[in-house]
Amino acid sequence: MLSVKNLHVSIEEEGTKILRGINLTVNAGEVHAIMGPNGSGKSTLASVLAGKDGYSIDEGSVSFDGADLLEMAADERAREGLFLAFQYPVELPGVSTANFLKQAVKSVREHRGLDELSAGDFLKMMKEKAELVLLDPSLKSRSVNEGFSGGEKKRNEIFQLAMLDPKLAILDETDSGLDIDALRIVADGVNTLRNPDRSFVIITHYQRLLEFIVPDFVHVLLEGRIVLSGGKELALELEEKGYDWIKETHAQLT
Amino acid sequence: MSDQNQMIETSRNSERPESHFLKEFDLLVENAAGGTAWIEHRHQAVKAFSSLGFPTKKTESYKYTPITKRVKSTLSNAVESEMRTSNRAFGDVSGIHLDTSNGVLSTGPLATSLPKGLTITTLQEEAKRENGVLHEHLSGAIVLDRDPFSALAAALTEDGILIHVATGAHIEQPIVIHHDRIAAAGFVQSRFLIVADAGSTLRIIEHFGHLDAGSAFENRVTEIIVGEGANLDHVLVYERSEEATFVNALFVEQGEGSIFKTNNITIGGGVVRNNLNFLPNAENCETHLNGLYIARGASHVDNHTLVDHAKPNCYSNELFKGIVADTATGVFNGKVLVRQDAQKTNAYQSSKSILLDRRARIFAKPELVIYADDVKCSHGATTGELDDEALFYLRSRGLRPDAARLLLLEAFARDVIDLVEVEDMREYLYDRLHQLLTNE
Ligand SMILES: Nc1ncnc2c1ncn2[C@@H]1O[C@H](COP(=O)(O)OP(=O)(O)OP(=O)(O)O)[C@@H](O)[C@H]1O
Ligand SMILES: [Mg+2]
Repeated sequence: MLSVKNLHVSIEEEGTKILRGINLTVNAGEVHAIMGPNGSGKSTLASVLAGKDGYSIDEGSVSFDGADLLEMAADERAREGLFLAFQYPVELPGVSTANFLKQAVKSVREHRGLDELSAGDFLKMMKEKAELVLLDPSLKSRSVNEGFSGGEKKRNEIFQLAMLDPKLAILDETDSGLDIDALRIVADGVNTLRNPDRSFVIITHYQRLLEFIVPDFVHVLLEGRIVLSGGKELALELEEKGYDWIKETHAQLT
Repeated sequence: MSDQNQMIETSRNSERPESHFLKEFDLLVENAAGGTAWIEHRHQAVKAFSSLGFPTKKTESYKYTPITKRVKSTLSNAVESEMRTSNRAFGDVSGIHLDTSNGVLSTGPLATSLPKGLTITTLQEEAKRENGVLHEHLSGAIVLDRDPFSALAAALTEDGILIHVATGAHIEQPIVIHHDRIAAAGFVQSRFLIVADAGSTLRIIEHFGHLDAGSAFENRVTEIIVGEGANLDHVLVYERSEEATFVNALFVEQGEGSIFKTNNITIGGGVVRNNLNFLPNAENCETHLNGLYIARGASHVDNHTLVDHAKPNCYSNELFKGIVADTATGVFNGKVLVRQDAQKTNAYQSSKSILLDRRARIFAKPELVIYADDVKCSHGATTGELDDEALFYLRSRGLRPDAARLLLLEAFARDVIDLVEVEDMREYLYDRLHQLLTNE
């Protein structure tokens, strides 16, 4: 599904190196968790995969479902089935959620050779998917994310994920800002969306989310590299011991 | 070199465009009607015009707007022609519909079938009434030495429109004015007086439709007197063609506890200059000034606004938004003045503009001048391109760049359209906006 090989990325303007040789393979249906200290490059990896401008790819390759991901424009990647749930979803004053999603769903479905949904079916789908994360129905009639609470924004991301039916979803700290109940609701939503054809990359700081969404693999990202990978137990270990011990071993190794 | 310069200077002087209008005034004023006070005021106006003269390169307030060039080209190319708009709009809005020709009512005075308390007539007709509205209010709000174009229109205009609402009258239906016809050689000078007496309510909609052929230079002065506790809502939609020039002056005077709201939407024209002046000269006034412009092609849209707070406890809110594309130019100069007496003023101003092309230009200058100490005021001006983060967000959901841009631009502009209170108008404007932004 996704294969990242030796990916080196720097900030275009200043040349600061952020990612220093990422290797990551995600097969269909797998759930991968990425953990790591603040500033280690997790969001940068997510942004680069989603096709955000402003980065220079210095080395490496990314293939997505057999195609060269880095050659595709951001919107093309989305239509091909890559979805990013943002760490900080953008507020879009004046852009109606319904209109925005109608266009998004339409372009994605068109690309995948599916028929355009009738107005009725679209509304039905909106309702169904919103219920998945118990999104307050009134939010759908407001401007995208405008004035939403932190938690509402995160639910809205998962709602959009459900609407767009991606092959690979990257969740960047979807759990931060969610209260304990909301965390469970969103996790349940994600679990419902899990299937053998859909993969997830879940970026998080807390083991708690991974109790609900049990990952197949856990990776530690440190200073732009994946320095340690393991099973779901690794998350527990990190929660207990922090990152210092990894930093130390990593420093010794390099 | 200096000799040559001298020569050019002299030849320019000999054909100063002002002289054309001064001569016209002399001819017109010989047979002027309307009563001595009005005629006297026209003399003052021509004097003000003559001493101000048309803007030169050195005139700060027209620094970016080549209006005098437009005056000259109109003078040299003027041919008598008749033009009608091809896109009459708001015909379906339920209201009292009026048509103008050269800025004067083509229907003449309306007496019958108007709601009680409402008078719609011509300035000349009203001038015949000895203690009429005209004698009390005409020229009451205009400030002659502020701008040569206002002075010129006040000097040359022989007749105009008068709308009057009597004390306490609530006019439910909006008055819709279709400025659909021009039959003149070059210049059309016009005047408009709106008087809403104490406690009355009124809504006025004006539409300047697209003219298919010929170029018109419309220079207009509107005076609006909002009485104590009255509520007046004014919407102007200007969408003439690229050959057209519009200098539009508005002087609004407000009485105590009154509410005035205007929405100025410029989505056409070649050179447009709005001079919008607000004088809430009593306590507890509320003033809403909203504007939207879309400048495309080589057009030039210039909004000059002044909110002059002279009395305490007033509220004003100004929101101007512009989208400038191609090689067009947008200018915004908004001044909010809070005089020493105007304590407890709440005055807000925001101007936002978006540039769509490298060669498009925007000059924005917000000015906040405060002499009172107990006030709440803020202003902000932003000029830029569309927000990259927002564009990326939309594209990350599968929207193509064009579609993403359109969605954001429409949202940006709709903000102002949303403030138009008549639903049919909003729908029309949303559609026009979409057409303009997609070049349909
Ligand atoms: N556009 C940018 N310009 C300059 N520096 C940047 C930019 N984007 C990211 N960085 C830097 O790159 C580093 C990695 O940032 P990134 O957001 O990927 O970290 P993160 O692992 O997601 O951290 P967090 O856990 O706090 O979300 C940080 O030091 C950040 O300051
Ligand atoms: Mg991050």
